[in-house]
Amino acid sequence: MDLVPLSLVDSLPAVQLPGEWLPEASVRARPQTARPVVAKKERRAPETLHPALWLGHQIGRTAGDAVATGFAALDAELPGGGWPRRALSELLLPHAGVGEIRLLAPSLVSAQRAGRLVMVFDPPAALSAAALERLGFDVEELLVVHTRARVVPGSDSLWALEQALKSGHVGAVLAWLPPRLRTDRLRRLQLAAHNHDGAAFVMREASVAGRPTASPLRLALQPGGADRLQLRVLKRRGPPLEAPLQLALPPVLSSAARRRSESDRERASAWQAATFVNFA
Amino acid sequence: MLWVALHLPCLSLESFAATLVVGDAAAAAGQPIALVDEHRISAANAAAQAEGVKPGLKRATALALASRITLGQADATRDAEALLPVAHAALAFTPNVSLPPGSDGAAAHTVLLEVQASLRYFGGIDRLLERLLHAVRPLGHELRIAVAATAAGAAVLVRVEPPPRCPSLEATRAALASAPIWLIGPGREHWEALQGMGLRQVGDLLGLPRAGLARRFGEAMLAEIDAAFGRRPDPREAIVPARLFESRLELFARADSTEQVLYGASVLLARLVTWLSAQHSFVRRFRLLMHHETRWQQGDRTPQATSLEIALAEPSRDSAHLLVLLRERLAQVQLPAPTLELALQAEDIVKRAAPNTELFPTKQSENEGLTRLIERLQARLGADQVQCLGAVADHRPERASGLSRADAGARPQRAARSKGRRDASTASAPQEIEATAASARPVWLQPVSEPLQERRSRPLLDGRPLNLLSGPERIEAGWWDAGLAERDYFIAETADGALVWIYRARLPLSASGANESGWFLHGRFG
Repeated sequence: MDLVPLSLVDSLPAVQLPGEWLPEASVRARPQTARPVVAKKERRAPETLHPALWLGHQIGRTAGDAVATGFAALDAELPGGGWPRRALSELLLPHAGVGEIRLLAPSLVSAQRAGRLVMVFDPPAALSAAALERLGFDVEELLVVHTRARVVPGSDSLWALEQALKSGHVGAVLAWLPPRLRTDRLRRLQLAAHNHDGAAFVMREASVAGRPTASPLRLALQPGGADRLQLRVLKRRGPPLEAPLQLALPPVLSSAARRRSESDRERASAWQAATFVNFA
Repeated sequence: MLWVALHLPCLSLESFAATLVVGDAAAAAGQPIALVDEHRISAANAAAQAEGVKPGLKRATALALASRITLGQADATRDAEALLPVAHAALAFTPNVSLPPGSDGAAAHTVLLEVQASLRYFGGIDRLLERLLHAVRPLGHELRIAVAATAAGAAVLVRVEPPPRCPSLEATRAALASAPIWLIGPGREHWEALQGMGLRQVGDLLGLPRAGLARRFGEAMLAEIDAAFGRRPDPREAIVPARLFESRLELFARADSTEQVLYGASVLLARLVTWLSAQHSFVRRFRLLMHHETRWQQGDRTPQATSLEIALAEPSRDSAHLLVLLRERLAQVQLPAPTLELALQAEDIVKRAAPNTELFPTKQSENEGLTRLIERLQARLGADQVQCLGAVADHRPERASGLSRADAGARPQRAARSKGRRDASTASAPQEIEATAASARPVWLQPVSEPLQERRSRPLLDGRPLNLLSGPERIEAGWWDAGLAERDYFIAETADGALVWIYRARLPLSASGANESGWFLHGRFG
């Protein structure tokens, strides 16, 4: 049945009752109740029709529920309100140690608290058990897999990650991929992630920001000062986010040290402004 | 009594084809194979028969008709070893499984099962036969099944075309009456004489006087017919599976590639799985032996056999999982010489009930799945590459975390222990961690501390000065071993805003060359 446009509903002709013919004037004079009311069909928004549909200006929703990131500002900007399940989330870092573990800690810790396994693939440096315990991890339940011990660098790192994603029993996956990864390999990992009921994070170098990716979410991280992280959402199911987000990470500095750092920054920026003095 | 007979009409050909280790099934079906017995062809597969090679031809004729044909000798030991897994698979359904005695042509390659007592458990004869076929299918043999009320009758009827199913004694007798006489074993040599007399079916013999038949054709034939018709008791001895599993596969040609060895190993693994199902047990450790061809060169140290031992964290009976583990291990082994013979030994067997299969994933199936995943990763990457983190009580940061090899089998206990720890910790109210610089530790630790340059008494990282924010934290430890550490740690901020953990070594450095500043980068706060 066609949707009747709203503007034409009122101009529909009245239905003639059978066996009667009345001149037009009396038709208008007839009480309104004799005229059958055409139900007004309001336009249904596409997002109410199916959870996977979204308009260009809206933030899309994930098919399942998303894993809460632990940061309210980030939850508001991500489709589904958190990290997507059954898909890879790509994080681009200039170098290790910008605050990425503190960003992911709330979601990984909640996966561990739910009794599921968290696996780490090829961390770039040694992990400190004390620091992870301070962030809330259960250190003994963390599984670390090194895939590059063999002299011939092969597809072992991708194979191991694919096995973990396809098994479907792992709670969360954190992987550092080899540099200059081919697009089809990443696409294959994304397909394997469909079996993985949980969050999957892959860390890549910041120079691939211009290349296309198969993962539905891509963030670029940069340090934004002491205990702060500057985050840009490069790709998501929704409109692009122009302004970078500033997130306050779980602190390692005391508040006094943080204030000192901020004052130092202001002084440094003030000095830079002072060099452009017009002597004219 | 209800007897089921399983007949393998092409067992000799199939056991010979298994030694050719052609992994591709399509290529194996298209390859013509024939067995030779005293210079005459005794059996030929479908591809060979399509080229005109039939049983009874001379060897030279067969080679002339089909030049690509592979000719082999029939080997009774090899056939018996190939029939045994079928019997083991049948043992999972009933304990009364017997192999007919004697290896003559009539009753050879048949397995007899007495299933009357198992019908109720398996839900009827049709369901039982369906499950039996499903259990025997991985072995890859062509099968014919007949059901009869007597053992000898079933062994005869299974060779009738098509094999009938006669659950009752009357139906068995009726089917036997129309069976050809040459199926009865002991009377074979008299078949021409019987045909000359016009006796072609067993039913024709029934009306003749028994004394005369016994005098002319022997008591054995009469005894066999009586047993088939149920007039004579016919006890059959059930087979007992061997206590230890050892199976060999002698390859027809030497195997040069891993794929061929893997295909042969998969045949042996299928046999192992049927033996395990007969014992209702699981394997925890098995060994694959590859015998190499001997080299008669002076001073050649090529070993005779390579042994590959696979140990499982969780006892398993899944041939696909075992094959995956074997494949990963085999990919890392360099074989010194081509392989001539494969042998599989099962060393550690565990008797357990089979796990219940579930539709939805549960905690137990998740643990099993994780155990298998860790086993697979360890098989391919090496056992030491999958590690667990642990905290070590040492003040020196580089020794405060220890990595130990992950134990796949201990996962369920560890998961239960950690669940207890988690419950205990969440029971207490979660308190806010007040950031004290004394306890701040970076997530990333450099394995070797990187020395830093210094300019105007400020350390430099990548040429840009670091801004010291908090510290110093003095760590002095390790006087008891060679790793003495006397350091003052600071948290510093780099020019782009990242936090790093640097220290200044208190002791003067002995021989470090030009860089005498004493500043080192130890970690980054990730």
